[in-house]
Amino acid sequence: MKNSAAMLLLSLVPMLTQQAAVAGPEDDREAFVEYFQSRFPDVAFAEFANGIYAIDEDARGQWLDIEEFPPYEFAVEQGETLWQEALPDGARLADCFGQSTGDIRPAYPRFDAGRGEVVTLAVAINDCRQTQKLPVWPYDSEELISITAYLAYAARGKPVVTQIHADEPGALAAYEEGKRFYYSKRGQLNFACSDCHVTSVGLHVRADRLSPSLGHTTHFPVYRSKLGTVISLHQRFSGCVRDVRAKPFALQSEEFRNLEYFLSYMSNGLEFNGPGARK
Amino acid sequence: MAPVRASKRGMALAVLAAVFAAAGCTTAFEQQLAEAELLRVEAAAAGAEWLQTGALLEQARDEAAGGDMDAARALVDKARFQGEAALRQAEHEASAWQNRVVQ
Repeated sequence: MKNSAAMLLLSLVPMLTQQAAVAGPEDDREAFVEYFQSRFPDVAFAEFANGIYAIDEDARGQWLDIEEFPPYEFAVEQGETLWQEALPDGARLADCFGQSTGDIRPAYPRFDAGRGEVVTLAVAINDCRQTQKLPVWPYDSEELISITAYLAYAARGKPVVTQIHADEPGALAAYEEGKRFYYSKRGQLNFACSDCHVTSVGLHVRADRLSPSLGHTTHFPVYRSKLGTVISLHQRFSGCVRDVRAKPFALQSEEFRNLEYFLSYMSNGLEFNGPGARK
Repeated sequence: MAPVRASKRGMALAVLAAVFAAAGCTTAFEQQLAEAELLRVEAAAAGAEWLQTGALLEQARDEAAGGDMDAARALVDKARFQGEAALRQAEHEASAWQNRVVQ
């Protein structure tokens, strides 16, 4: 009898697992937040926007020193200049967006039902250039990244409000693809994003501690001290994929845009605080 | 992207081998190289290509061009292993990722 009951329970495990795997975005987000808060009970929710500095006191001290003279300031200034520069027909980049400067960053990533895909801020800026008949900027270009730095700075303090509308099945599909990417092992080292940033969060990889994924998207672009320049979120994605010895996807590829969509949704409710500064 | 199933992959390799045999114009090394390249392409289509597979194949071509066929074959073997392993990984992850979702 006991054996039968045990067998019945075991047969339910796959069903329960599958049920959990197809939970809705809001269930996912609540579980995600709860997980990190239980791993770091002394860290307030809002602090997760600071990434690794929320959980590493030593690194936080160094970061606060760096913030005395923020190394990303030049990028913000360059971005502001480009943002306000008159384009050939007299228009400005801002004219494409129809929002106040501080509201632009929080509007992305968003699912564009007409295009059937996730549109990020970098893609939207290049779309704008195309409507102005200007060549698009490469996604790792100083110009594009500096504009995103300026818009991130203008949005500081605004909440992350990534939307997945119920009447847009494509949005949910894109979110699910990003989620699948995040939890899938890849590369010669056989690692998923979640292996480092959920399961092993806070542990050391050589001299560095692994940052929590909650809040990962709030502070990009970031100035990387080791590179001496400001990089985008997708460049960071690319670096992580390469680190596990998988071939990285292109910057702003569908895979990375969906991943950004998923991670942004996970960070809903935190405040934008970019650009950031990291080792 | 859905990973290519092993049976379809075997069929593709068999077709490739038949094409080479019918053409009668390639060496065994070129056939091995083409098979390893096919595996790399399939892994890429599944979104699962490993970092160094393409570089290993490039090096194999360079070694073959330089006449060191032993080195070239060893590199192709490594690339083939990586292609097969990447595809097995993608097939496994098609469902295994769900077990890692935070709940």
